[in-house]
Amino acid sequence: MSLRSATSAVFRRELQLFARRKSDWANPLMFFLIVCSLFPFAVGSESEKLKLIGIGVIFVGALLAAMLSLPRLFDEDARDGSLELMLTSPEPLAALILARVAALSLALGVALAAVTPVFALFYALPYDVAGMLALNVLMAVPTLLLVGSIAAALLVSARGGAILTAVLVLPLTIPTLIFGASAALKVLYGESPAAELALQAAFMLLALALCPLAAAAALKISTD
Amino acid sequence: MARTESQSHDKFAGRWFWRYASPAAFFPLAGKLEKLCWVIAAVLTAVGLYIGFFVAPTDAQQGEVYRVIFIHVPAAWMAMVIYLAMAFWSGTGLVLGTRLSFMMSHALAPTGAMMAVVALVTGSLWGRPTWGTYWVWDARLTSTLILFFLYVGYMALAASFDDKKKGDRASALIALVGAINVPIIYFSVKWWNTLHQGSSVRPGSSSMAATMLTAMMVMTFAFWAYAIAAALHRLRTQVIEREREASWLKEAIK
Amino acid sequence: MMWDSWGAFWDMGGRGFFVWGSYGALAIAVIAELVMLNRARSNALNASHENHDH
Repeated sequence: MSLRSATSAVFRRELQLFARRKSDWANPLMFFLIVCSLFPFAVGSESEKLKLIGIGVIFVGALLAAMLSLPRLFDEDARDGSLELMLTSPEPLAALILARVAALSLALGVALAAVTPVFALFYALPYDVAGMLALNVLMAVPTLLLVGSIAAALLVSARGGAILTAVLVLPLTIPTLIFGASAALKVLYGESPAAELALQAAFMLLALALCPLAAAAALKISTD
Repeated sequence: MARTESQSHDKFAGRWFWRYASPAAFFPLAGKLEKLCWVIAAVLTAVGLYIGFFVAPTDAQQGEVYRVIFIHVPAAWMAMVIYLAMAFWSGTGLVLGTRLSFMMSHALAPTGAMMAVVALVTGSLWGRPTWGTYWVWDARLTSTLILFFLYVGYMALAASFDDKKKGDRASALIALVGAINVPIIYFSVKWWNTLHQGSSVRPGSSSMAATMLTAMMVMTFAFWAYAIAAALHRLRTQVIEREREASWLKEAIK
Repeated sequence: MMWDSWGAFWDMGGRGFFVWGSYGALAIAVIAELVMLNRARSNALNASHENHDH
């Protein structure tokens, strides 16, 4: 089996699994919805106030929802033994991990980005801001999952893995958060978000180049 | 995969510096170095504080409160430098498979985290009279806070493995990932800061008298010596824990 | 001597709380670290001697 067919097989299998198991995509979306609807209770319902915090709340909510899906990258495979198969496969491990993260990013990124504009309306944000926010969620989810795949690989079936993953991954997502939220903010103020979008794309490409290799090394360490 | 100590010892036996990659050879040397560093740290602290409080003049703009700089800036620098040193030893450990390198990383982390906390606390106490508030989302304070999170993540990860060897390599990898991210985070935060706040007034931004700078540099070297001494102490403790069965250790700690 | 009196020294131009608070925080941090260093060392030594005895 060539590298291309192996990775595309992993990619397709991952998407199929994701489509089949409702909890995989429904739970992050529910989580996202609940987080976003909590804040108005805390700060009040004046639309001017909500507009100010909306961008940040929605972006952080999307990142947290994506982060909660990280354990599903490797944990289940470690339990049913298919992780062993992946490790002994002749294909480069980094490519297989990349295929898997890409599938999850696509599914989860599209799902989260699709509901983002709806939540933006909760916070009285204009349509163009909502669109920009959705675009940035779509770009930030792959970056977070790529960086997070390293932590997920290190903490395969480790005790307290989920909370430790958050401690390890969240500080590293701050640049993505800064530029993602700021792109939407620029649109709100009627300025051009080009610089922020370029930086978001740069972070994604950098993560794309480095993270699968690091995650492969991490998986070898934790399953050694 | 990880090379055992005896193998690496044989392989590199010809070169003197490799000998010190072995805990048995390093243990007594580290002890001497540690004592030297404690002495240097104590002497330099005394000298630095004397210059800082009795020679350096009152700052024209800030008055006496600027004297926090003699510990705030060295602590902030050390938090950064120790993280880089930690990443360096982690990388060395992953490449060469030397246990001592990983242990050096573990030994550095708590002191680095402590320096970050000191930088944050002194920064807040300095900020209150200067900015009028204890906490400002200033670029340097914010990046120090994030650096503290990275230290905490590293230590939590290292502690979460029962298998020490696995913990060594896992935390080393996270230290390297963090080190690559530190500059990206720093520049992002700086950019974010200028966007949201305009340029904020920094304590100590005015030009400094030569004696002020001298005091700060002496204190920096004192902190440096302190960090090395604390790390070596922790390193030797780890050697005692991990080499419990080794006969050379029983001789060394009699 | 640049201070008029020890009182002026401790007062730090009215900013004594912030200056000495900072130095106090450093002192607490350093003492805490030294205590922890020593405790870890004596734990390690105890464990290793027990191990040695039997």
